[in-house]
Amino acid sequence: MTGLLSAIEPVTRAASEGGGGLQFPPIENLVLWPAWFAEGTIFEFNKITFISVFATVVTVILFFIVGRKAKLVPTGLQNLMETSVDFVEKQVIGAAIGPDGMRYLPMLLSMFFFIFITNLFEVIPTSHMPGNARMANPLVLALLALVMYVGVGVKHNGLGYFKAALFPPGVPAALYILVTPIELLSTFIIRPFSLAVRLFANMLAGHILLVTFSVLTITLVAGPLLLKPVALVSFPMLVAFTGFEFMVSFLQAFIFALLTAVYIGGALHPHH
Amino acid sequence: MSALTYLAEAAVDPKAQQNIAAASGAGIAYGLAAIGPALGIGYLVGQAVQAIARQPESAGQVQTTMFLGIAFTEALALIGFVVFILLKFV
Amino acid sequence: MNAVLAVQAAEKAAEAATNPVIPAVHEMFWGAISFFALWILMRYVCLPPLMRVRAQRDLQVQADREAAAAAEEQAEQVRRDYDATLGEARTEAVRIIEEARAAAEHERGQVVQAAESEVAVERQAAMAELETARAAALEQIKGDVADLAVSAASKVVQSDLDLAANRATVDDYVNRSGGQR
Repeated sequence: MTGLLSAIEPVTRAASEGGGGLQFPPIENLVLWPAWFAEGTIFEFNKITFISVFATVVTVILFFIVGRKAKLVPTGLQNLMETSVDFVEKQVIGAAIGPDGMRYLPMLLSMFFFIFITNLFEVIPTSHMPGNARMANPLVLALLALVMYVGVGVKHNGLGYFKAALFPPGVPAALYILVTPIELLSTFIIRPFSLAVRLFANMLAGHILLVTFSVLTITLVAGPLLLKPVALVSFPMLVAFTGFEFMVSFLQAFIFALLTAVYIGGALHPHH
Repeated sequence: MSALTYLAEAAVDPKAQQNIAAASGAGIAYGLAAIGPALGIGYLVGQAVQAIARQPESAGQVQTTMFLGIAFTEALALIGFVVFILLKFV
Repeated sequence: MNAVLAVQAAEKAAEAATNPVIPAVHEMFWGAISFFALWILMRYVCLPPLMRVRAQRDLQVQADREAAAAAEEQAEQVRRDYDATLGEARTEAVRIIEEARAAAEHERGQVVQAAESEVAVERQAAMAELETARAAALEQIKGDVADLAVSAASKVVQSDLDLAANRATVDDYVNRSGGQR
């Protein structure tokens, strides 16, 4: 409780000192976190890295608990995990790659769980920081997706993959001057970039949105008497946006896995 | 201290002037970047709803495709948002 | 106050020179470590038991379905057998009833026949008796009538008629009238 009070203290102080304005914290306060140890080195550990490690540990533990005594007739947690596996299998692989994409299930499932749990920290109380609101994790995953789909394309189609990707069939030869640079840019640069930016920007935007409404509510409550009732509007909005961000967390994890699957599927069957 | 005084102070401070320009530029950039994707997503979801209404049995497939389309369209707005962050906070 | 805060924030930002879009190397490092650990564990430790159980369940479902089909087939067979038995029993019953009916009919016919023949015998006996009685009565009446007629005629002719001679005449007459009857 004291932690919470000290966290909102600058905002309430600014409001009660008659500043009157909305003191939006600088962006560093929103996304940068102090190091826990090994500051300044590559091993620097802070809240974001903790969230990443935590997501892995939680996922592994969940699967381990279920896998250790998996029953023929699933109950409780096993139901949940099997449903999520089925979800990735049907909605991601089934929709984007087809039956021969089953061998990418571990990667896509890991991606889904990793992104979903790191995103979920956006709405988990006392944390309120999506791990993907920093560029690091999305970039790593997007580069991995790039390596994956180029690797799959080369593995299954040899160098013909690059030919199909850069010189799409059915285009007049003269147009290749125009098409090939565009395809090069869009396939090998914009794809991973947009994949990373989509996740990062969505989570950062959601984070800033929640911060904005929190700051607004606190300012209104601590502010002049006349403005206090307005908090009755802004607080339900905060709650509603928290629910919305929960949905976004899920949706972004789904879309990231789905798009990776679509790119892999495109590399696997380049002629469709 | 009133907003007017702040503005008057800011008018003579080049650093503050730069901040003002960046902030308004950021706002305009994001506002413009949101127009196209807003229309696009509206149209896309509308068509998807129509498709589902016509063929409710293909709802799952239409939804997946719809999310894909939204993801592609939304990327433009999100790049605008990144530009906003870059202008406003850097 | 506001201006001071804003300037302070701006100065701080300039000092830190942090760009929120540029990824931090250590976060990438930990993120990559975590994700690859998750991927490898998922591939070799987490997923296989779940998939195994699912495959097992699919097999079980398949087997159960086949068993259900077999059981259904068997039930169908049993029902067919039962139907056949039932039909047999029904024809048997019909046959028995028919036999019983025939036997009863036969019995009845015999009883009726016996009764009829008995009745016929009795009636014949009665008829014979009646006939005898009638013949006796007729005989007697014939004698009486002849006597009477002869005595009446002797009264009429005032002389004794020969009873024996006239008896033949009377008898002849009576016989003729009796024959007419």
